[in-house]
Amino acid sequence: MPEVPVDVAIVGAGPAGVAAGIGAREAGAKEVLVLERDWDLGGILQQCIHPGFGLRTFKEELTGPEFMHRWIERAHGAGVRFSTNTMVFSMDDDGSLWTMNPHRGIEHVVPKAVVLAMGCRERPAGAIKLTGTRGAGIYTAGTAQRFVNMEGLLPGKRVVILGSGDIGLIMARRMIWEGAEVEGVYEIMPWAGGLRRNVAQCLDDFHIPFHLEHAVLSTHGRDRLEGVTVAKIDAQRRPVEGTERYVPCDTLLLAVGLIPENELSRMAGVAIHPGTGGPVVNQFLQTSKPQIFAAGNVVIVYDLADNVSDEGMRAGRNAALYAAGDLPCGGRRFEIKGGKAVRLFSPQWITDGGDATVFFRVVRPFECRCKVFADHGLFSQTHRYARPGEMNEVHLSARDLRSLDPGVTSLTVDVEEV
Amino acid sequence: MTAGNYDVLIVGGGITGATLARELSAFDLRVAVLDKAGDLPSGASRANSGMLHAGYDDKPGTVKARFCAPGNKRYRELHEMLDFTLRPWGSYVCAFSEADCRHLEKLKDQGARNGVPGLDIVPGDVLRRREPQASPHIVAALHAPTGGVVNNFEAVLAFLDNAQQNGVELFLDTEVRRVLLTEGGGEVLGVETSRGIFLAPVIVNAAGTHSGEIAALVGDESIQIRPTRGEYFITDKAIGSMIKSFFFPCPDERGKGVTVARTADGNLLLGPTSVRQGDKDDTATTPQGLAEVMAGALRLVPSIPQELTITSFAGIRAADRTEDFRIGALARPRGFVHMAGIKSPGLTSAPALALHVVELLREELADRISMKPNPHSIPERTHILRFAALTMEERQDLVRQNPAYAQIVCRCETVTEAQIVEAVRRGARTVASVKMWTRAGSGRCQGGFCCPRVVDILARELHMDPDEVTRHGGPSRLLVGHTKAFWQKREAHHA
Repeated sequence: MPEVPVDVAIVGAGPAGVAAGIGAREAGAKEVLVLERDWDLGGILQQCIHPGFGLRTFKEELTGPEFMHRWIERAHGAGVRFSTNTMVFSMDDDGSLWTMNPHRGIEHVVPKAVVLAMGCRERPAGAIKLTGTRGAGIYTAGTAQRFVNMEGLLPGKRVVILGSGDIGLIMARRMIWEGAEVEGVYEIMPWAGGLRRNVAQCLDDFHIPFHLEHAVLSTHGRDRLEGVTVAKIDAQRRPVEGTERYVPCDTLLLAVGLIPENELSRMAGVAIHPGTGGPVVNQFLQTSKPQIFAAGNVVIVYDLADNVSDEGMRAGRNAALYAAGDLPCGGRRFEIKGGKAVRLFSPQWITDGGDATVFFRVVRPFECRCKVFADHGLFSQTHRYARPGEMNEVHLSARDLRSLDPGVTSLTVDVEEV
Repeated sequence: MTAGNYDVLIVGGGITGATLARELSAFDLRVAVLDKAGDLPSGASRANSGMLHAGYDDKPGTVKARFCAPGNKRYRELHEMLDFTLRPWGSYVCAFSEADCRHLEKLKDQGARNGVPGLDIVPGDVLRRREPQASPHIVAALHAPTGGVVNNFEAVLAFLDNAQQNGVELFLDTEVRRVLLTEGGGEVLGVETSRGIFLAPVIVNAAGTHSGEIAALVGDESIQIRPTRGEYFITDKAIGSMIKSFFFPCPDERGKGVTVARTADGNLLLGPTSVRQGDKDDTATTPQGLAEVMAGALRLVPSIPQELTITSFAGIRAADRTEDFRIGALARPRGFVHMAGIKSPGLTSAPALALHVVELLREELADRISMKPNPHSIPERTHILRFAALTMEERQDLVRQNPAYAQIVCRCETVTEAQIVEAVRRGARTVASVKMWTRAGSGRCQGGFCCPRVVDILARELHMDPDEVTRHGGPSRLLVGHTKAFWQKREAHHA
């Protein structure tokens, strides 16, 4: 098989991968190759034609394709090479990649460092143990989004949405705009899965009923979906008797969670964190394999593309430094721990070799003033609220880390009411 | 409207009809397979565990007991010739108590009488040495080395495909409404269907859950199908290698119980339940059923991670009231043959039943059809290339010949565009049939990524609008139209 040596190889050309390419080039890597299995660059943002992207990075409101366009232009300018229509079959434990492309056939890409930027996929109906019939008309929200926004095809006319992840909320509004009726959004938790702003702009503004602590119990209709049974559920997630209701609909969209896509990572023996479903990383986005880095939703599912591309830049830069033998290693090591209010977090460990940001989600909403902090007085910030649908950040400086007592080996991040 | 003249009409294109069609294609006969479904396999042949039973379960003297072990053997003879996936992984019936152990002895004895080779009872710790994930509470297990598993979609498609290559005609969306008889009702003439009249001197009832209705069309009320639903889970392939074979609990009066099996493609399959119901086509899953499946599976293999299910489904067993297969030619009307009541182990028995019915036609219906060999018949066929199973070198060669092999459509199962185009060429018309032919959409994302691409390819290859593509035929359209269709119509009107 032909061998393709590069300095940094990046798997995936979504917001994480494209930014990683730029980061790697700007940090001095010569040959930076981004491998993308789709025909076009941009990843899932190609189909996210709604506005709301780039408020942090570009200080203006862009659509997904516009946001990606800016990053892609910058990547071209920086000398990043892209290979689209290129499937990465497998990754060996040295980080080398087996790829396939219609023009070049199968190649063995051998990089000095790799950035994994495969993003995430949607949880299917089978994973949430949805019961009932399996007729046409049951889609994940992202699949429906592709049909509507990319293919110009309408999945249905009367829609029920299960789960309130951001794509589900966005699709509720989109289906209304396309002339469909959205009967309601049903969420098993007592709070929204997605961003508050999406609940306001996609549901409230269109008077779409939002039913918290409700489940879709079963689907009906053998050929095409004809309806669903919904019910209120109790704290044990059991249906509350007498609250079952039949809702006629021809479409059920699922927005019930995203799973980091780590099949390649597992093949190479990269350690996966059971909480996030992504690789265990340090603040340099370095996985358990020192030459393999990871960034974006493949690590932990973010709310904002800005976070993803920021992380991509950092991972790309660090991969380039690693390839050149310049990445700081060693130093004091600290395990990160989540406090009582923390559901999942990343990175899982850091060193005092550089500043670090820890991202985490809370287990329940704090609808009051609360303190987001790391122990040993390293960081504390007061917020007006903390919500499961919105990522929290804790910033730690290398200087503060170096000044900690020699006995300190772990750091806890948490949220408390104030 | 007459659709044609044939020698044999097979009503039902499930595993029973498919294996018979393939055996008959070795003879110089005009054979048609009629099925009311929009894609095949449908019904019980589509939704089952894919298991090749060894043959110890059935009471000696029953028709099931007679054909199960020979059917199992026949699959092993045919699977390479017909290129469908068969895994001879063996099976265990697990005992949790003294009473269960006595039952294992009974099964072993039954198996010996049914001609099942190699049965052996092993203590629990021997089982756990071979299968470390087996429950610590299992005290002994009956090992059946001839137990196995097939990809049931591939098996049905392989038999049908080979039959079609040898001239058998397949008619989908063709529902039999009436059986045409001679005056006085003594002999069959043919059938009237939703797509016209098919004439033939021999009609075989292989209609699965609907074989009772087909029998009733000739006034035979003796076949009464009591549909029994079984629910299943399929898990992510990531945990498929937890076990090497498959596990049954000790059977009870309801059936073989909830099993844990490694599928032919490397997933885990958990199930089935066994619940009698009135409806012959209701394959909805239920919270109670799936809870029972999970509990039953965890009893055998406690370490199964419950969050790794990727889909669930239900199938209907076509059990006759006698709980046995109903095979034979009717005395009146002459020319009408039953292959009915095909419940478990029906998948396993089918190829042996097919050989039996060929003999039956030769011996009992020689006055109606003449069974001369078909000199052009070819007993082998190959499946659509399984790209995912090839080495890098083999893939490289293919891609150089045809770049469509480098277009991965289903990322989870590594299915290429070239395979899907070939599936359409061989008769796939729906998203589900593409899945059954190629596995596109059967992976961990369950078609989340590839469904729009498959719709696109089907529409392109079949010259239809994407919004006409169906999930599984009939009214199962995936899309209801185009976006902005209202405006497009208005513009067209103004232009």
